[in-house]
Amino acid sequence: MKIFAPAVLTLALSTSFAANAATPPDTLVIAQSIDDASSFDPAEGFELTSVQAFTNLYQRLLQSDPQNPNELKPTLASRWEAGKDNRSLIVTLRDGATFASGNPVRPEDVMFSLARVVKLNLDPSFILTQLGWTKENVDSQLKKIDDRHVQISWQANVSPTYVLSLLAAPVSSIVDAKTVLANQKNNDLGNKWLATHSAGSGPFQIRRFVPHEVVLLTANPRSPGDAPKLKNILIKNVPEAATRRLLLEQGDADIARNLGVDQISALKGKPGVKPLAIPMASLYYMQFNIDAQPALKNPALWQAARYLFDYQGIANDLLKGQFQVHQSFLPEGFPGALNETPYQYDPEKARAILAKAGLNNVSFKLVVSNQPPYLDIAQALQASFAKGGIKIELIPGLSTEVATNVKAHKYEATLNAWGADYFDPNTNASAFAYNPEDGSKTLAWRSNWHIPELSKQTLAATAESDPAKRVALYQAMQREVMKNSPYVVGLQARNLIAVRDNLKGYVQGINPDMVYYSQVSK
Amino acid sequence: MATSTTHAGLARQFWRGGRRLVTGLLSLLVTLLGLLAFTFMLSHLSPVDPVLQVAGDHASESTYQQVRHDLGLDKPLPVQFWRYLSHLAHGELGVSNITSQPVASDLARTFPATLELATCAMIFGAVFGITLALLAAWKPGSLLDNLARLISLLGYSVPVFWLGLLGLLLFYAVLHWSAGPGRLDDIWIYTLEPKTGFVLIDSWLSGDREMFRNAIAHLWLPVVVLGMLSMAGITRLLRAALLEENSKEYVTLARAKGASRGRILLCHIFPNVRGTLITVLGLSYATLLEGSVLTETVFAWPGVGRYLTTALFASDMPAILGATLLIGSCFVLLNALVDALTWLTDPRTR
Repeated sequence: MKIFAPAVLTLALSTSFAANAATPPDTLVIAQSIDDASSFDPAEGFELTSVQAFTNLYQRLLQSDPQNPNELKPTLASRWEAGKDNRSLIVTLRDGATFASGNPVRPEDVMFSLARVVKLNLDPSFILTQLGWTKENVDSQLKKIDDRHVQISWQANVSPTYVLSLLAAPVSSIVDAKTVLANQKNNDLGNKWLATHSAGSGPFQIRRFVPHEVVLLTANPRSPGDAPKLKNILIKNVPEAATRRLLLEQGDADIARNLGVDQISALKGKPGVKPLAIPMASLYYMQFNIDAQPALKNPALWQAARYLFDYQGIANDLLKGQFQVHQSFLPEGFPGALNETPYQYDPEKARAILAKAGLNNVSFKLVVSNQPPYLDIAQALQASFAKGGIKIELIPGLSTEVATNVKAHKYEATLNAWGADYFDPNTNASAFAYNPEDGSKTLAWRSNWHIPELSKQTLAATAESDPAKRVALYQAMQREVMKNSPYVVGLQARNLIAVRDNLKGYVQGINPDMVYYSQVSK
Repeated sequence: MATSTTHAGLARQFWRGGRRLVTGLLSLLVTLLGLLAFTFMLSHLSPVDPVLQVAGDHASESTYQQVRHDLGLDKPLPVQFWRYLSHLAHGELGVSNITSQPVASDLARTFPATLELATCAMIFGAVFGITLALLAAWKPGSLLDNLARLISLLGYSVPVFWLGLLGLLLFYAVLHWSAGPGRLDDIWIYTLEPKTGFVLIDSWLSGDREMFRNAIAHLWLPVVVLGMLSMAGITRLLRAALLEENSKEYVTLARAKGASRGRILLCHIFPNVRGTLITVLGLSYATLLEGSVLTETVFAWPGVGRYLTTALFASDMPAILGATLLIGSCFVLLNALVDALTWLTDPRTR
């Protein structure tokens, strides 16, 4: 018994040190992985953690209504008007709006914010360069009319409706030019400083950011609009999903993000917690590199593959609740999204299609990330395709390695996910149905799929001003891609999170940036 | 005459010690250089494109080439390596692609967390490991011995990741004996002023006893989980060394003179296995420093192990090289320290 004495003593002592599980009353504590966060500069941050923060740190001229994302609401702008040339907008700024620093929001701030995105030319800048803006011409496209009005012009053949969607994207966040310029080094337009600080008019501001450890936001009482109900938002890095679940269950976190199916199942029925499955704009699809081998170029193979994807089995049985069946390239919830699901798992039909096309003993290598749920889905596909006579060899790898190989055309087929970059149908159309053959590395380019007609239609849809006509164009393109393309879009993901049941006012939308903390209380 | 002989002996020892030190330092430098070259080559063989990590998916060809040039990746490999070494000589480890911070400051932030965890785990492992080994060697084949062997076997074979999750479930979620993951409760994050980077020391220096208690509440469980690993190693190797000594003639002689079993074990055998003990402790500490990745992940412990893993997954070259250099240096330095201690404490090795 003597040998147990030290162990028992240690455990007994530890009881007196144990902490009480409760989050501070004025602070929202969120457990998630923040390993992806490299910069909180809206001109650079493009990862989940950073875009989730942007909506709470910055405001844009106009933003999606949290309750109805399809509707754009004036935010830092009070109104806007399309120019007669259909290539400009006159924006009226909201009266009395100020940044967290106390500086007023001026036309100069709008011009500086949009221009710096183009001049810095970092990852998300492509969203604004679609307007034909370049480092050289962007300053001439943004003009101050007077202290309350700014003119935004563009050269690309796109409609004002589409431009408004782009101005509502996180990259179009308005930063406090005076504060940013006061902190710039080596003419970096404040990029380095903004990586770890904020200079916006959103309901919160960054108080402390320790990479891989914590992001602490504190309320900005000067923010135009409703004042935040809580004083602080503490986002702590908890890389392991099972640990995130434990924190929430114990009351040490108010929200646990990115939980797996197992964690959500374990939380169901537990007192004090509320598991949620929020639809998100993330599609899981299979893609062929049609130049990799002759069989993969044959549209009959693409068609057969649509009948060999076990949609229901994967969504309902394998990954309960984490996915819904979705077969078009615009996710449900997006303007113009088609919710038709014409394809069902039917191995016999697939066999008949392959036989008719003279495709025998088809086999291909499927490169896939070794992370869940990719590998789980890929293994299910391996089994379901085998029943239709197609042999799949799985090549699992690091997700970065898979991405590199796919972008270098070094693959035969892949299973991947595609998330929307901004809330407009063009974000996915320009990936799935656009290959301009000018070096743009779209999804269609990755497939070596040459589609001049669809590419023209994609461009035409961005030029269309009539919302109803625009929707009709995207629906036609979705039907075409659904019927005849080297992709099999099969699933739309749901974001599995869990919150404490005393939490009120938390809203999360379909796009990654649609995370709203300002009205949360507990 | 006798005095001059002693002086000559001391001088000889001093000369030998100095020569050993210089050789050790040279070997340390060569080892580190080899380690860097190896890691550098490995990271360049990785199929992950580091340019895309920086430039992003949507970068145009010109941006891609610009970033490639800025990172120096358009130069031949030896030139890149030389460039890295010359930066290193100026104390620059580069800037991490994923944190956008200098690697040196990232390491300065994460290393104390690992050092704190590994040191406490080492103390736990050493205290319990030595105790268990002595108990086992006291009566070989007894119930105590079998129990010590079982515990060390479990320590070796149970995956740390699983043990960590199980520990959290039991001691944090069910029994509430431990605080949750992380180094402190959220409420202290606002107030703790990081001075040394060691939460135990910083919270003690803050004068807030409640914060100090909270730091211990967070620390003890990961320490026990990680310490189990070193305890297992120490118990097994020390037990074997003690039993080997037990069969030697001087032990039989001591026994014949009527010395008690406990006295023989503690006063005769134990001092003679100190070389083994120092080696085991040194290697165990090095293993804890480099191998605490899984424990750090489960317990959301922001240490250098997690930093390196994240860097590896993102192909963040400056971070990978910086963290490898740090961990490699620790390993080499600990080995050198073990050698020196053995040399100093055991005349047979001189």
